[in-house]
Amino acid sequence: MPTHVEGMEMAEMQSSGGYKCALTYTYPHRFWLVTGSRREKVDIKSNDSTHLMPVVWETETGIVPPDINPQVQITQDGESVAQLSPWPMLSQPMGFHFGDNVQLAGDGTYQVEVSIGAPSTRRTGALADNQGQTTFSFEFDFQQSALEEIMYRDIPSDTEGTDGAVDPMGMEMMPSTHVPAEADLPGTVHGSVTSGDAKFVVTTLSDATPFGGREDETYLAVSPRTPYNQYMLPLMSLSGTLSRGNDAIYDDILQSTIDPELGYHYGAVVSGVESGDELAITVDSPPQTARHEGYETAFFEMGEMSVSL
Amino acid sequence: MTDRKGIPRREFLKTAVAIGGTAAFSACLGREEIDVPTGPDDLSSYPQRQHAWNEILPRDDHGNVVAPHHRVLLFLNLQENGPPTEPDRTTVETALEGVEHAYERSGDGLLVTMSYSPAYFDRFDSSLPESVDLPDPEALAPFEDPKLDTPDAVVHLASNHAQVVLGAEEALEGNEATLNGVEQPDAALTDVFEAVDRRTGFIGDGLPAENADVDGVPTDKVPDDAPLFMGFKSGFEKNQASEDRVTIQAGPFANGTTQHISNLRLNLDQWYNQDDRWQREAKMFCPYHAENDVIEGTGDNLGDSSKIDECDPADETAREMGVVGHSQKSVSAREDDQPIILRRDFDSTDDGHAGLHFLALQREISDFVKTREAMNGTDIAEQSAVGQRNNNGILQYIRTQHRGNYLVPPRSLRALPPATPRTDSTQEVANASS
Repeated sequence: MPTHVEGMEMAEMQSSGGYKCALTYTYPHRFWLVTGSRREKVDIKSNDSTHLMPVVWETETGIVPPDINPQVQITQDGESVAQLSPWPMLSQPMGFHFGDNVQLAGDGTYQVEVSIGAPSTRRTGALADNQGQTTFSFEFDFQQSALEEIMYRDIPSDTEGTDGAVDPMGMEMMPSTHVPAEADLPGTVHGSVTSGDAKFVVTTLSDATPFGGREDETYLAVSPRTPYNQYMLPLMSLSGTLSRGNDAIYDDILQSTIDPELGYHYGAVVSGVESGDELAITVDSPPQTARHEGYETAFFEMGEMSVSL
Repeated sequence: MTDRKGIPRREFLKTAVAIGGTAAFSACLGREEIDVPTGPDDLSSYPQRQHAWNEILPRDDHGNVVAPHHRVLLFLNLQENGPPTEPDRTTVETALEGVEHAYERSGDGLLVTMSYSPAYFDRFDSSLPESVDLPDPEALAPFEDPKLDTPDAVVHLASNHAQVVLGAEEALEGNEATLNGVEQPDAALTDVFEAVDRRTGFIGDGLPAENADVDGVPTDKVPDDAPLFMGFKSGFEKNQASEDRVTIQAGPFANGTTQHISNLRLNLDQWYNQDDRWQREAKMFCPYHAENDVIEGTGDNLGDSSKIDECDPADETAREMGVVGHSQKSVSAREDDQPIILRRDFDSTDDGHAGLHFLALQREISDFVKTREAMNGTDIAEQSAVGQRNNNGILQYIRTQHRGNYLVPPRSLRALPPATPRTDSTQEVANASS
């Protein structure tokens, strides 16, 4: 559990080209950058005004794509104030989002442009068509006094640092970055395993056609999530070995993929799955997302897992 | 050295280039006491390759070419529609020769190239020969949306002295009767062209730190001796294509080259204020370099290469370490283990924002496209924990604002060349072994 929980505010929401974007913000936050298995703390600087989070999601599915890095340009009366490329991040109240601390020029109205490019993670199903580049324009009225009114809840000190997570925050109209609950995943769910605090659910779909395979092949999907809030865990390198007796049926990477039903997951087309097959899942790189407080030590030491199918 | 107005001399000189104009040139002359030799009366010994700069530029202790410190790019449109006339050609050639008579051809003197866009060649009924690969510019990454530049021509002026690039620019625009004591012809580029854009910059030890008082870069973080804003040396001899490799080998434009000019906006607050040294080294070079302290300071200790042979293959590092270095990705764009583009890029403070004018020469524009695709790391991002920008070289810190493609013709065709020049016989490059 973190030491405290903060709320957030939404400045405005816009729609464009199959996407929606909400410009949200909260207090400046400290966070940790992740590069490989290294984490490096980023402290709040005295001139940081706010933690800005442009949340972009696909209108049809409500999925927040972790591969589309929003680029932000902030101006005031035509003068450039800041340009930033927010980091992919994980926080307990927000789940996955893009964000960074930003320095503004005090109270006032700012023009904020959020632009997105085409995706770089494989899309399947209806999402494969959502390729567009687009830009969202916002008027952002920033008031320090309003920022200070954003909910701030202290976690009792006897709970701080213990296992668990704060509840996800609900905000009307905002997408969540949950993956489907175990029972709601499509296909045959084979159970789950835990590694490095994360839960990995395994499911198989009998027709691999939507995933680039054949009808008589099987799609093997691994859906990792945070243990309490079921947030997606993107930007990992996962690989899998599917064994039947002494034979390896599949031994290669599990590719990150965004699918309307499976959500963000890692998968591979295999020839078939039989009862008694063993799937070994290896985390070659832990989630390369920056971490807010509460997740700064989670999802790093992720040992190999094994699931009986 | 600080002059009487309290502005450090070097800082003033950079600002002067960025501002430009007669007043800036005059002010430079007053503050920068230098003696640049004039050029020869007879220019016939000048090489056919406008881009043959390496033989006359100094080299550092490791054999790396030292790039000229001050730069101006002039973007020009012809005033008239349709193809240019013979008198237009004479005017352009005369103007160019005027500045070449005024300053010797060297790093301390003046280096100049004249180049033409696909839009310019569209003025002619016939098309460029197949020996020239010069497509219209386009976005080169799925996540970029640059403005595509279509001026007719771009002049690249380079010198170690601010007053030389400024003086040459002024003379080419018809504003100087004499330049460096040499009478200037009654012919200016602006007699036939209209200047539509002007981009400026600098490269060299210490210049970025002195010019860090702009948006996009923390003022006190750029190392004092860094040649570029990002803090590391680049353009190592072994990471550059040779001039032979980038030279067009056959056809009427043999001895020419193609030029890509992009403008990249840098946002280095994260780079300097949030990333640490390990991350900067891993993202610029490769994680191996960061893990093993391969790089000291700005990387001068690397010698004549970025030592990327010591890095693991990019796709492996991406899978196993979740990060891939910028230099490391470039390996896949090599041919016969040699780079295929020749960088002549430089930093900029145009529009008050830290930026990079990425000017690159290559035999074919497709060589540049291939190199840039390697930098995008799209396949790597699809197959690993590396993101579209996150931990993907230096893409997190860069936004492409402009792209343009140009042909740098051989010297004999540098003044408003036709799309299909008449030649007595198809020229072949003497050194065709590359």
